[in-house]
Amino acid sequence: MAAPELPQTDPEGIEGVRMTWNNWPRTKVEASKCVIPIAASIQPIRPHVDLHVLPYIPLRCKSCTSVLNPFCRVDFTALIWICPFCFQRNHFPQHYTSISQTNLPAELYPNFPSIEYTIPNYPQNPQNYNPAVPPSPIYLFILDTCMIEEELDFAKSALKRAIGVLPDNAMVGFISYGTQVQVHELGFSEMSKVYVFRGSKELSKDQVLEQFGLGSSGGRRAGIGVQKAGGQLSPADGTANLGINRFLLPASECEYTLNSLLDELGTDQWPVAPGNRALRCSGVALGVAAGLLGASTVGTGARIIALVGGPCTEGPGAIVSKDLSDPARSHKDLDKDAAPFFKKAIHFYEELGKQLVSQGHVLDVYASALDQVGIAEMKVAIERTGGLVVLAESFGHSVFKDSFKRIFEDGEQSLGLSFNGTLEINCSKDIKIQGILGPCTSLEKKGPAVANTVIGQGNTTAWKMCGLDKNTCLTVFFDVSSSEKSDSSGTNPVLYIQFLTSYQSSDGQTRLRVTTVTRQWVDSAVGTEDLVQGFDQEAAAVVMARLASYKMEMEEAFDATRWLDRNLIRLCSKFGDYRKDDPTSFTLNPCFSLFPQFMFNLRRSQFIQVFNNSPDETAYFRILLNREIISNATVMIQPSLISYSFNSLPAPALLDVSSIAADRILLLDSYFSVVIFHGMTIAQWRNMGYQNQPEHQAFAHLLQAPHDDAQLIIRDRFPVPRLVVCDQHGSQARFLLAKLNPSATYSNAHEMAAGSDVIFTDDVSLQVFIDHLQRLAVQAS
Amino acid sequence: MSITCRHVTRLYPICYTHLNAEQTSSSQAAAFDSIRFRLKPDRKTVGFLVTDWNLGIHSKQQSNNPRGGPRPPNAAPPGQQPPPFAGSRPRPPAPGVFQRGPAAPSGTPQTTLPPNVASTFTSPPSASQPPPSFTMRTPPPVALASSTGGPAVPPPPGAVPLTGPGARPRPFTSSPTSGLAMPPQMSTSGPVNNGPTAFSSWPTQGGPRFPPTMGGMQQPPIGPPQLPTSLSSGPSVQPPQMHPNFGNPPAGASPFTGQPVPPFSAPQQNIPPPPGSLPVSPPTQSMHHPSGSPYGMQTWPPQPGQVAPHPPIPGPMQQPRMYGMPPSPTPLPNQSMALSHTGQSKIDPNQIPRPIRSSSVIIHETRQGNQANPPPPATSDYIVKDTGNCSPRHMRCTINQIPCTVDVLSTSSMQLALLVQPLALPHPSEEPIQVVDFGESGPVRCSRCKGYINPFMKFIDQGRRFICNLCGFTDETPRDYHCNLGPDGRRRDADERPELCRGTVEFVATKEYMVREPMPAVFFFLVDVSMNAIQTGATAAACSAINQVIADLPEGPRTMVGIATFDSSIHFYNLKRALQQPLMLIVPDVQDVYTPLQSDIIVQLSECRQHLEVLLESIPTMFQNSRTTDSAFGAAIKAAFLAMKSSGGKLLVFQSVLPSIGIGSLSAREAEGRSNKSAGEKEAQKLLQAADKTLKTMAIEFAEYQVCVDLFLTTQTYVDIASISVVTRTTGGQVYYYYPFSALSDPAKLYNDLRWNVTRPQGFEAVMRVRCSQGIQVQEYFGNFCKRIPTDVDLPAEGSECAFQCALLYTTVYGQRRIRVSTLSLPCTTMLSNLFRSADLDTQFACVLRQVASEIPSAPLAQVREQATNVCINILHSYRKFCATASSSGQLILPEALKLLPLYTLALLKSSGLRADGRVDDRSFWINYVSPLSTPLAIPLVYPRMITIHDLDEKELDDSPIPPPVPLSSEDISDEGIYLLENGEDCLIFVGNSVSPDILQQFFGISSIEEIPNQFVLQQYDNPLSRKLNDVVNEIRRQRCSYLRLKLCRKGDSSGMTFFSYMVEDKTPSGLSYVEFLVHIHRQIQSKMA
Repeated sequence: MAAPELPQTDPEGIEGVRMTWNNWPRTKVEASKCVIPIAASIQPIRPHVDLHVLPYIPLRCKSCTSVLNPFCRVDFTALIWICPFCFQRNHFPQHYTSISQTNLPAELYPNFPSIEYTIPNYPQNPQNYNPAVPPSPIYLFILDTCMIEEELDFAKSALKRAIGVLPDNAMVGFISYGTQVQVHELGFSEMSKVYVFRGSKELSKDQVLEQFGLGSSGGRRAGIGVQKAGGQLSPADGTANLGINRFLLPASECEYTLNSLLDELGTDQWPVAPGNRALRCSGVALGVAAGLLGASTVGTGARIIALVGGPCTEGPGAIVSKDLSDPARSHKDLDKDAAPFFKKAIHFYEELGKQLVSQGHVLDVYASALDQVGIAEMKVAIERTGGLVVLAESFGHSVFKDSFKRIFEDGEQSLGLSFNGTLEINCSKDIKIQGILGPCTSLEKKGPAVANTVIGQGNTTAWKMCGLDKNTCLTVFFDVSSSEKSDSSGTNPVLYIQFLTSYQSSDGQTRLRVTTVTRQWVDSAVGTEDLVQGFDQEAAAVVMARLASYKMEMEEAFDATRWLDRNLIRLCSKFGDYRKDDPTSFTLNPCFSLFPQFMFNLRRSQFIQVFNNSPDETAYFRILLNREIISNATVMIQPSLISYSFNSLPAPALLDVSSIAADRILLLDSYFSVVIFHGMTIAQWRNMGYQNQPEHQAFAHLLQAPHDDAQLIIRDRFPVPRLVVCDQHGSQARFLLAKLNPSATYSNAHEMAAGSDVIFTDDVSLQVFIDHLQRLAVQAS
Repeated sequence: MSITCRHVTRLYPICYTHLNAEQTSSSQAAAFDSIRFRLKPDRKTVGFLVTDWNLGIHSKQQSNNPRGGPRPPNAAPPGQQPPPFAGSRPRPPAPGVFQRGPAAPSGTPQTTLPPNVASTFTSPPSASQPPPSFTMRTPPPVALASSTGGPAVPPPPGAVPLTGPGARPRPFTSSPTSGLAMPPQMSTSGPVNNGPTAFSSWPTQGGPRFPPTMGGMQQPPIGPPQLPTSLSSGPSVQPPQMHPNFGNPPAGASPFTGQPVPPFSAPQQNIPPPPGSLPVSPPTQSMHHPSGSPYGMQTWPPQPGQVAPHPPIPGPMQQPRMYGMPPSPTPLPNQSMALSHTGQSKIDPNQIPRPIRSSSVIIHETRQGNQANPPPPATSDYIVKDTGNCSPRHMRCTINQIPCTVDVLSTSSMQLALLVQPLALPHPSEEPIQVVDFGESGPVRCSRCKGYINPFMKFIDQGRRFICNLCGFTDETPRDYHCNLGPDGRRRDADERPELCRGTVEFVATKEYMVREPMPAVFFFLVDVSMNAIQTGATAAACSAINQVIADLPEGPRTMVGIATFDSSIHFYNLKRALQQPLMLIVPDVQDVYTPLQSDIIVQLSECRQHLEVLLESIPTMFQNSRTTDSAFGAAIKAAFLAMKSSGGKLLVFQSVLPSIGIGSLSAREAEGRSNKSAGEKEAQKLLQAADKTLKTMAIEFAEYQVCVDLFLTTQTYVDIASISVVTRTTGGQVYYYYPFSALSDPAKLYNDLRWNVTRPQGFEAVMRVRCSQGIQVQEYFGNFCKRIPTDVDLPAEGSECAFQCALLYTTVYGQRRIRVSTLSLPCTTMLSNLFRSADLDTQFACVLRQVASEIPSAPLAQVREQATNVCINILHSYRKFCATASSSGQLILPEALKLLPLYTLALLKSSGLRADGRVDDRSFWINYVSPLSTPLAIPLVYPRMITIHDLDEKELDDSPIPPPVPLSSEDISDEGIYLLENGEDCLIFVGNSVSPDILQQFFGISSIEEIPNQFVLQQYDNPLSRKLNDVVNEIRRQRCSYLRLKLCRKGDSSGMTFFSYMVEDKTPSGLSYVEFLVHIHRQIQSKMA
């Protein structure tokens, strides 16, 4: 049982960087021959036990602004350091005078390629800034009320719980919406007070501010007010209810108000005609929320947390008409350009995303509905701002409930939600940056390192991440632009890349994480050995998945399957050992051995085979694919399967239908769902209640084991995966079967042993796929 | 309105969002509309008849007619007959009041017409003498003429007139003019020199026409004279004289009678002598001579009388005053004449015609002897018995006889208009309107014109068919409605069926008349909470008024309420019971508004009473710290409208500042106008027009959805009433204006206004249609309503009566759909004199008033003033020319029925709407207030009532706690007195500077005039004076259905100026005195004659 190779314990290490190629081809031509693009998956604020936090401001190179790092050459006598990127000589400032070979500052320790600085008053420095009290993050909750009573109750109780656990100083606002948007003024003591906006009218930020009475000059004042509230946070700070703090109050002050408000909040009162969908103006609600937050100071971290219960049918951002006989768009409609609302909605959310990014605010969407809610359209705004998204069937479902809880939790489980991240990349000469796939927005900061071709958020060396957390992961695509001459010189065998991530951590501090990595240049003309050794199969598979998804969205009529196949064949042709035209002679270096299987599973995955899913689901999967770390993303592509039986310890099993046995329990982790699958016999025993009999305690343990393991998986994951417990031949078993290699189908069912299972599909099995691959690879041109 | 079913809609062109009934007084706007008719020229003509009663100013009254010799009867010549005596101004008696009398005539026998004599103002002196002469008749006119005519005249005047009349009157007959138009004076004056005397004489003349009328009805015209009556009324004194004169005349008159005068005329003879006159006071005299009896008073006066022969009666009496004019002041030519005579140069102000109000209650039967009975004066206290025609409260016509041809009408210069107030409040002693339920089939209607069954539909063919009195079409009687006819040709069941014997009935509307369930009674309150409103206490006053008024709203599930406040945004409140506390919903977009909730904004009163009370108490404090000065009025009403759209209802808006933001926002254009003086008159008048069409467009939409807007303006500044009142006008609402708002004295009025507004009898989603007999078509509608389809009515008529039917389809507050049908059938006449005799001054003036009001915004002020004056001049000229030809040109001759026209016209010219010096808002408000004003309120608005109150406890009053009014002349104001002046809206109490401290203490609890407060709240102290004052004020409030804005005034400050600006008889920098005005009018007439 050749189990998939488990990731090494900590492949990312303190750097948090994984690259498809750890040894880089030196020329563009060589690079393109490598088939798999040179890309790095970085986890900008990865927590690590060894990470040092330095309480001072970093030294920067005066020409390229890169930060002092272990790879700098330091002349201790002259107190000079040489920047490895631009070779600029920089003097150490006065307070570094005491450094010496034996007295290195932490940032020069070779063991610390990543180091973090705490920066007082990062982005601005208002005179009255009080470093003792960090600015409070803002949580603006948006609740859809076009739901059935039961769902609304679930959502409300989730909100109440969330508000209960927010830090006292967190600023909280609340907006509910249905046919209209209701912005609740929490700071009005007399009675519940609500600003109502019509759902059908798009409002610009200025209009919103003006209508809140926060316009122009008022807005400025309000901004200052907030800062004060943030900075000094004195609720009693009487500046009265003129500014935005009418709407945003510290959690400790408004919890009671909000709870009673939620108690009274009912479902939307606007009538829904029979045969129609409820009129729901999600777009305007988000627009108003963004506008409202616009009155707060730029630089104040803020999240818009939207709980959406259905499709937007009214106003900007509508995805479907209110007529129920009009179905929501499908992938087919999108392909045929038959989704009349799609483009307009996308445009709306693009603009909204831009606005939020410019304000530095995050949009999180929690969608719970049986129907689609428009995640596909909102994706752009969510992803650009680094927002979170959870798609569930119901607000009562654990996928939503537990995920939602996680956001606000502290401690071990915490997501480490941070705000206002900015990523800058410095890299050695000859390295160009094409762009980033992942939750960020290009800041359009031009520089010599900007490549001509763009992938994702490109044309820049700096990116904005309004929201980021411990797991946030970005994929940076590099290009090598080496001219022939630099090639010949061969002077410098190593390359450096430095990632500078500044952000506001969840505790309000402003941090700068500096990660400097180095890799080798290899001259592939000499041989591919070095290249091969530097290949990271998992990273490569994930990068290919992300790139394929991106191309599917961006390029019309892009045939992802063929594209993957072609690349796989080219890769095998290049790096395989074979005799021409002799498929049987084909062997692949172990460094590549898993890659074809990843590709096989990727081809069958929800990322490529979108037609089984709604556009919303696809968008959801892709958002997560793009923001999760490599190991998680790998699971999305190729789920892990563990088998439990009486005879052996739990062990990884082949992701193949042949792993199914009547006396086994299987645990499948496909990231979005975790499936516990009981073989027929096990299920029968369980149904007969043996586990409850003292003499069959072992059986009880066997039953329990996968559940425990599933909980371990679930506990660490966000969003919380759906847990499916099923039995062989049960209807829910499809969650497992869909992921297994169909080595046994109805066409060869007669060969199967009793107790095993078959999958009813015409898909090719892995074996067939590999056979073809070998044949094609060796015949290559 | 859209509501009405299609076919109904077609029928009812006028839509009201909302209708109220107000009592006589209230102005309720919507409720009251005048409709002007155009006569189609297909009528045949006829000779004229003249009636008259005029005031002769100056000597002569009717002198002879053209042809006829001067005076007397003989003159009568022309065939016409009836002597024209008219000259005199008989009517003294109730002139004003009764004048309408004419109507009476028409109604009945009419014609009588009493009095149109012109009264002369002649010089008094002469008068005295004259009398005799008159009697003789000598004098005809001349006397009057005195002024002009010179001396000769003098004496005779009074007499003359008569005689005169006799002579020419023929045509008209005249009415009774009783001699003196001035009756009043007479009476009183008797004493007075000129005036009186003169009159006295005349009076006589006026033959009593009534009598005749009664009897013959037709003859009336004849009459010469009203003689006596008029006089009679007057104090006895004169009468005597009069008689003499008249007496003769009458006789003369008779001729006329003979004549043709149509209907009326005939009787004359009879008339004369008889009755009327006699009875009447003066009777004696009148009687005598008279033989001329005819003259006796005119019918009118005594309406009642009329009918019956008993004529004399009541009414008559007073007229007297009118005549007063006489001797004009020197200046004018006429007068001068007079002067010469008498030697005096002055007109005795006491003899000028002035309104007299009778304090006793009149019983008015709408038809008597199968003839329409002219209604009593609108301002009098009367009880209507509906005997076929509808109550005059529901419909009044400017002329109680309908001219048969356009020529007659146009010659008269009067306009034919109908004032309709379908939901007018009845007198408490009147029978309630009967409700008739025809079941599934609905009311019986003419299949062609859709007119409703009424007492004038004629059943034929054993009751199997009926002829429509409006279009003349013959329909089959529905089977289950069939009934045999009695020997009199009426259905045997006519008296049991209200729709066949009552002028006003209500039909239960069937499903056909509804396009939806009757709407609930929805009251939506909208309160301004901008900084200004809060700080001046306006918001608190509004909230407290609303809070109190909630208790008065009808209980039950059909009563729904909602509330919203607004400043630069609009705040709605969710009052649903489930909520622990009201929820405030803010609509911040004032450019493009919407309603924040579909339901729960307007909830059943029973469900939200507590919430509402709590809310209303907290609103003023809640916004206490508001710094918002902007007010989004337009957006607020629009948003409220959207909330009410599904049901319709009343929107009550409390606004304190100029709408400055959002839809329909306005600029302070008044200030701009001031700074830009150069723009001149044209700009000034633009300020009286709506600034733009936004509000109008909105209002039309409101009306479509049955939303009626009432505005309570509690302001300290300019709010551009001209622009915002468009909303109330279009939706049938009303504007209440509190300027400058006082948190001390105004809240009580605000509360009372609001309370009356929501609790008075009213109807919703109403559609009205007026139909009339063939030959008449509706030309124009005035009033507060939304006119959807311009409609002309052109229906055939038969018979000598012309009918009007007003059908109002509406929903009562209790949710029943009803059709209130009022039918008025009036006699037709071809005689001009009849028109004058049957003219209804109050109604005519009310029409003039609203026409003037509608003109003001669009025409230069000078032009409007001139137009108003011309209306008066043209009518008088027409009368002078065609009905009083015999009188000398030196006399100003006033038809009895219209003798107060000059006074009212003068008052109108001095009213705030026609003054250039007023604030723009005040004028706009006036315009707005006037246009829906009911007749009984129109008169006092322009010519307020003033009474003395310092001597309240000395007076013994019979029925009414209100003492008789005193003339509006500063000469009558003494420094020791305290005067109360009211016009139905404001009530000024003027305290003379030398009033005894004791009285001050009793009334106001202050010891010196210096302590008079700026803001006054009437209190009741424990002393008889104070109690009486309170009784008086309460009685006025009851009569006017208005709480009145009380204000104390004293000489020497601005409050005193305000008070004196109401003294319409005074000469002011911008206006003539009453006497001067009469002279002016006379001159104009003279120049026209020449």
